[in-house]
Amino acid sequence: SAALKFEIVAKCSTTKARASILTLPHGPVSLPIFQPVATQASLKGLTPTQLAETGCNLCLNNTYHLGLKPGQETLEKVGGAHALQGWKGNILTDSGGFQMVSLLKLAKVTEEGVRFLSPHDGTPMLLTPEHSISLQNTIGSDIIMQLDDVIATTSPDAERMEEAMERSIRWLDRCIAAHKRPEKQNLFCIIQGGLDLEMRKVCCKEMAKRDTPGIAIGGLSGGEDKMSYCQVVSACTDLLPPNKPRYVMGVGYPEDLIVSIALGADMFDCVWPTRTARFGNAVTSTGTLNLRHASFANDTGPIDADCACTCCRPEEEGGLGITRAYIYHVASKETAGAHLLTMHNVHYLLSLMGKVRAAITEDRYPEFLRAYFRRAYGDMARVPTWALTALKEVGVDLLA
Amino acid sequence: MAALHNHSSLRQSSHPLLFVLQKSSTREDEPRFGRLSFQNRVPMDTPHYVAVSSRGVVPHLSQDMMRENTNIRAMYTALEDSSSTHSAIPIVTSLGFGMLEYTNYVEAIQKLRPDVVLGMGDVLFGHKPGVKRIDKMGDRTLVWVKELADGMKDEENGTPRPALFAPILPIEAEQQSYYLDALQGELVDSVDGLVLYDTASIDAIPKTLRHLPRLSLGEMNSPHKLLDAIALGIDIFTISFITETTDAGIALGFSFPAIKDTDLDTPLPLGVDMWSPTHATSLSPLRSDCLCYTCTNHHQAFLQHLLNAKEMLGWVLLQLHNHHIVDNFFAGVRQCIQNGSFEDERTSFEKTYTAELPEKTGQGPRVRGYQYKSEKSEQRKNPPAYRSLDDRKEKLAEAALPSPSADANDLEQQGFAEKAE
Ligand SMILES: [Zn+2]
Ligand SMILES: [Zn+2]
Repeated sequence: SAALKFEIVAKCSTTKARASILTLPHGPVSLPIFQPVATQASLKGLTPTQLAETGCNLCLNNTYHLGLKPGQETLEKVGGAHALQGWKGNILTDSGGFQMVSLLKLAKVTEEGVRFLSPHDGTPMLLTPEHSISLQNTIGSDIIMQLDDVIATTSPDAERMEEAMERSIRWLDRCIAAHKRPEKQNLFCIIQGGLDLEMRKVCCKEMAKRDTPGIAIGGLSGGEDKMSYCQVVSACTDLLPPNKPRYVMGVGYPEDLIVSIALGADMFDCVWPTRTARFGNAVTSTGTLNLRHASFANDTGPIDADCACTCCRPEEEGGLGITRAYIYHVASKETAGAHLLTMHNVHYLLSLMGKVRAAITEDRYPEFLRAYFRRAYGDMARVPTWALTALKEVGVDLLA
Repeated sequence: MAALHNHSSLRQSSHPLLFVLQKSSTREDEPRFGRLSFQNRVPMDTPHYVAVSSRGVVPHLSQDMMRENTNIRAMYTALEDSSSTHSAIPIVTSLGFGMLEYTNYVEAIQKLRPDVVLGMGDVLFGHKPGVKRIDKMGDRTLVWVKELADGMKDEENGTPRPALFAPILPIEAEQQSYYLDALQGELVDSVDGLVLYDTASIDAIPKTLRHLPRLSLGEMNSPHKLLDAIALGIDIFTISFITETTDAGIALGFSFPAIKDTDLDTPLPLGVDMWSPTHATSLSPLRSDCLCYTCTNHHQAFLQHLLNAKEMLGWVLLQLHNHHIVDNFFAGVRQCIQNGSFEDERTSFEKTYTAELPEKTGQGPRVRGYQYKSEKSEQRKNPPAYRSLDDRKEKLAEAALPSPSADANDLEQQGFAEKAE
């Protein structure tokens, strides 16, 4: 499409992993990629300069939040979300649908859209696929998402699940029709169907026909077991056209990312790494460390010895040389402590993605996976069953 | 009590810092231009301020932002004080209230190795000491300052001792004459500067100690008060109004010398309340002539949005701008002292700007002040291994409801949704 170019650079000869370059209106993004979530046009106290220094060139804003504050009228006057926040990189916005359904009073999904009562006077209100797209057109994000009908994957109501899947296809058609700036913004469809692989297949086929510039696998990461999660991702990537980026929404744990990449996914987003920083948690190559634990009070080592982020880099190399003891001292007490850990966590995940891309490009992704899990778990027998199973199905037997 | 960490080189044999006054004062009350030099540090020209820190952090500013986007040269870290017993003063620490024994203070200083240590003064805050108390103030302070001076002699090879700033008590010179004699006598080689709790105490400084740098811990809640104190010869200030205005959502907006506007009918405000919805769509910087990080990268509309959305970045951007304004204010003050225009410019500043900072209208940072509530339970060292992820739950925890006052018309006008039949 006019606003997007997708080139596959390398394919893993064992797994379904791919390394690619996604060129968007605000510059190229190397995939696979993790996208940090700057919910309300700001990432947890980081300036756009600091965000760019983590290596980020594609972050998320939330349509629901920007629709409330500052609102479409202001966004229009300011000239969209890039101009609002002074961000020169790319932005992806979600449709905001599930927040509305979950948070708004008596919100109910009908064929027209999401109905709810205004918080102040109870006036019935309606948010439609056309609305969501109009808002996202004003926001001006480089990737926009269709409004979908999301049901918790753990829901036992198969009939409602099917209705939601089919409605999401119809809403995609309405979103495509309502989209006013296809030459500047890329609309991604969202595959639904819960944990039912047959339903997912139907949805993949129908949506692929609509030929959107990119495809998201939605409805996951809502607390379902990881075995089912992997089956859904793998079933979808088998059916999706290879020449389009595949975005799995709401995924962010490092091992979920690297397994999903082996299953053929390219893009991820998650609030966990930035949210957890607020509670003093540092994502590291040996797992997540809670630096508020007293054992770190006198630990003068860096947050992660292998990390090259602004915090972890020694002062001689232009970094801040921040120690674990320092984070222990300020974490959850000073907002600046959270800023430092946020920088580290985002940088950590982006640098992990960089290592993944290098491994795929050099066709040694299976070796990368082995080394990663050995480091994280010591003994491969301690690697969770879901990861062992999922990787074995794409040709990597960690126990062999 | 407090210690000063100089951020940013020279050293005499016995004193860890060198303070050179460019203009040798001929009168008692005269503004002074000086240069304070520490070993291995970038010198700091005075008058200047030291940024008030909390746990070694200037509120809201991560170290990279401070390093790259401010001119902060020194930080003030408080162990805090208020009233006292014979050997200790009550303090507020990150662990709660406790009594700080002066021996503990000496130990802490030996470990922390700040560039400047402020001697503990037996000072009452908020009310005037009685006659009996006044008698003891000088005696106690003398014991404490001696103890601190002795404690710091005990340095390891090669590391310079921290510079010691001794208090001048906020009482008459005669009432502390025994103590002041000691500062000029047995303590003369140990004392590198003076701390004043009250600008008026400047009169109590003995002639032989007038060459020492003077740090004010007094309440300076406006630039006018700073100028008054500078006029009397104070060199260094701790200023709490910078973080206070930031937390109030106010962007400072004054300069020294003041802008010359002959058409000025009413005095200009010292700052602008960024909570005001009038900034919601303004694409102008916080101040058109400001070259700070915030003003060169962002506009008022973004600041408004961040404050409204209670995003931490709002406080960061305001803090950067407000420190920049105060940095420039002091640079202007120093220049005017050097070229002899300080008094004229001070008068013109008084006329140009209102006396008080604007009233606070919005809410401050989410939790009172810039600090999070301490969650007391000790966290597990390693959180449980990656569970099944519920990103939707986490996203909802981050999400806010529309404000209860937002009616259907507002939501429709904002473009959030439309009214349904
Ligand atoms: Zn790091
Ligand atoms: Zn500025």
